[in-house]
Amino acid sequence: MKKKRGLLLAAIITGSILLLSGCGGGDKKGGASGDKKVLNIYSWADYYAPEVIADFEKKYNCKVTYDVYSNNEELLAKMQAGGAQFDIIQPSDYMVTTMIKLDMLEKLDKSKLPNAANITKDLQHPAYDPNEDYSLAYVWGITGIVYNQKFVKEAPTSWADLWKPEYKGHVILLNDCREAFSFALKKNGWSNNSTDPAQVGKAFQDLKALNSNVLAYDTENIKQKFIAEEAWIGQMWSGDAAYCYTDNKNINFVVPKEGSLIWADNMAIPKGCKNKDLALAFINYMYDPDVSAKNFNYIRVPNPNEKAWPKMNAATLNNPMLKVGNASIKKGEWLHDIGNAISMYDKYWTELKTGK
Amino acid sequence: MKNGKLLVAPTVLWLCVFFIIPMLIVVAVSFASRTPYGQVVFNWTFSNYQRFAEALYISIFGQTLVVAFITTVVTILMGYPVAWSIAKLPKKWQQPGLVIVMAPFWINFLIRSYAWVIILRSQGVINTILLKLGLITTPLQMLYNEGAVMLGMIYALLPFMVLPIYVSIEQLDRRLLEAAADLGAAPMTAFRKITLPLTMPGIAAGTILVFISSLGMFVVPDVMGGAKSALIGNLIQNQFLSARDWPFGSALSIVLAVLSLVLIMLYYKVLNTQKGGADDAKDVA
Repeated sequence: MKKKRGLLLAAIITGSILLLSGCGGGDKKGGASGDKKVLNIYSWADYYAPEVIADFEKKYNCKVTYDVYSNNEELLAKMQAGGAQFDIIQPSDYMVTTMIKLDMLEKLDKSKLPNAANITKDLQHPAYDPNEDYSLAYVWGITGIVYNQKFVKEAPTSWADLWKPEYKGHVILLNDCREAFSFALKKNGWSNNSTDPAQVGKAFQDLKALNSNVLAYDTENIKQKFIAEEAWIGQMWSGDAAYCYTDNKNINFVVPKEGSLIWADNMAIPKGCKNKDLALAFINYMYDPDVSAKNFNYIRVPNPNEKAWPKMNAATLNNPMLKVGNASIKKGEWLHDIGNAISMYDKYWTELKTGK
Repeated sequence: MKNGKLLVAPTVLWLCVFFIIPMLIVVAVSFASRTPYGQVVFNWTFSNYQRFAEALYISIFGQTLVVAFITTVVTILMGYPVAWSIAKLPKKWQQPGLVIVMAPFWINFLIRSYAWVIILRSQGVINTILLKLGLITTPLQMLYNEGAVMLGMIYALLPFMVLPIYVSIEQLDRRLLEAAADLGAAPMTAFRKITLPLTMPGIAAGTILVFISSLGMFVVPDVMGGAKSALIGNLIQNQFLSARDWPFGSALSIVLAVLSLVLIMLYYKVLNTQKGGADDAKDVA
């Protein structure tokens, strides 16, 4: 669900990665260097502090490889092609559901994951995998309203504030169909997974009315637009808001009272993994409070590991955006895969982009 | 001759593996459907093409054609004088002139689009200067509108128009123009009757390059247009990513490819009927 970044580049890189993986990339993965075991991670970019990985390699006398993808669909396509031998993958919430349904994930052996108990209670029973049978939340975030206090004098409290006429031409929305409909549905008090045509239709009408306020739809460069003060108010992920705040202290972030969309990228083991024990050891290691604190001080996104919070450094811990995030977990609603209803959303979304 | 064929073999193999086979896969997928989880199932249906016939998608196609048409016309009007001026430079200055036209290609297009954002945005170069000079009091909104999309497209594709026109002007037989002048033709008449018809192949090549490239453009509307005006390229990209509807995306790609082909064929047909005119010009001269 996150960051479909670098449109053209991503397409080219994906293409070449797929081609390369077809041409014997698999051998490299399977083969051990010397007697050492190899743990292959397939995840999002910048999700691990290099130091933490190096420590694990030393501790378990193994080698870790780290390949990245830029969206869940790419992960799914690669796992379905079956060419790659990965031991750890990090699907987002809705993709976990899809992968469980497609029987692509191993059940996690909880007896080997004592540190899983460190995950904050609110994230231990996510709707997409209620008993954490297949996945553990590794990174999470929530969508909220970001605003620049220089231009927005009255702190927003509701999604409806985006429609205020004084923000005309200065509102930015995420360039993501489900995200945009999510807040329009929430504003009306409905679930962001609604498949009721009347509700989705009303959300569409509201978004269409909002269009005259919208400066741009953006997910990749939204941070720069707020840091450079082109935009005054808009929709943003908590992690991005935390990033903006470090560069521009006028930036503030709030999770509206109607609730919002929450997401998590997870630890999971793909079916048929050959290094299951090492993979479990790695997952357990990553939830160790000391390791986790070190890791999240580096990657600076909301950490679900409650036991690690006291050990994190002040700059990360006191970033108001990350704090807002932690306090708002309960306001979040997970996005589900809505099956064929996505066609209805997509058609409205296309119309929204063309409707003058 | 045998050796010649051998030399071509790698290229033919390359095209087969990386162009024709993928193209056939796209054709096949365009007749498939998606499952609720976004997988492709081959059940040989026309529904993707039927869906394209909806007013919404037709209007996006229309909008894309309009943008491509304007881009092409503007690049001809801007590119022709540039190509003409370069071709008229002394020989030793022509090469540097062409290098200047091609220099932007040394930098990735995505990066150049962001450069435009930095120039045009509200805290950008232009606004900062105008504000400092006191000519405006609030920043001008120059980005994220249709004008910005047009600007980006024309900027990106102008070199593709200049280069082929330059080649055709450069090859023009100057003696024909001298003869026209001797026979009393005014410069405008000589241009209309001789230069323009004889440089038509350059304009034609440039038109095809620019028109086809602008039909598939999706970076400019996203980066400079604020993703507010969807062109067909954006629609296709969206089908492959967030909508996870590869069959519909494939069908749209096929329609776009066929449409481009038909337009090129029509265009050449029109040009060929005009070619008689160009030959006449030569005869008259």
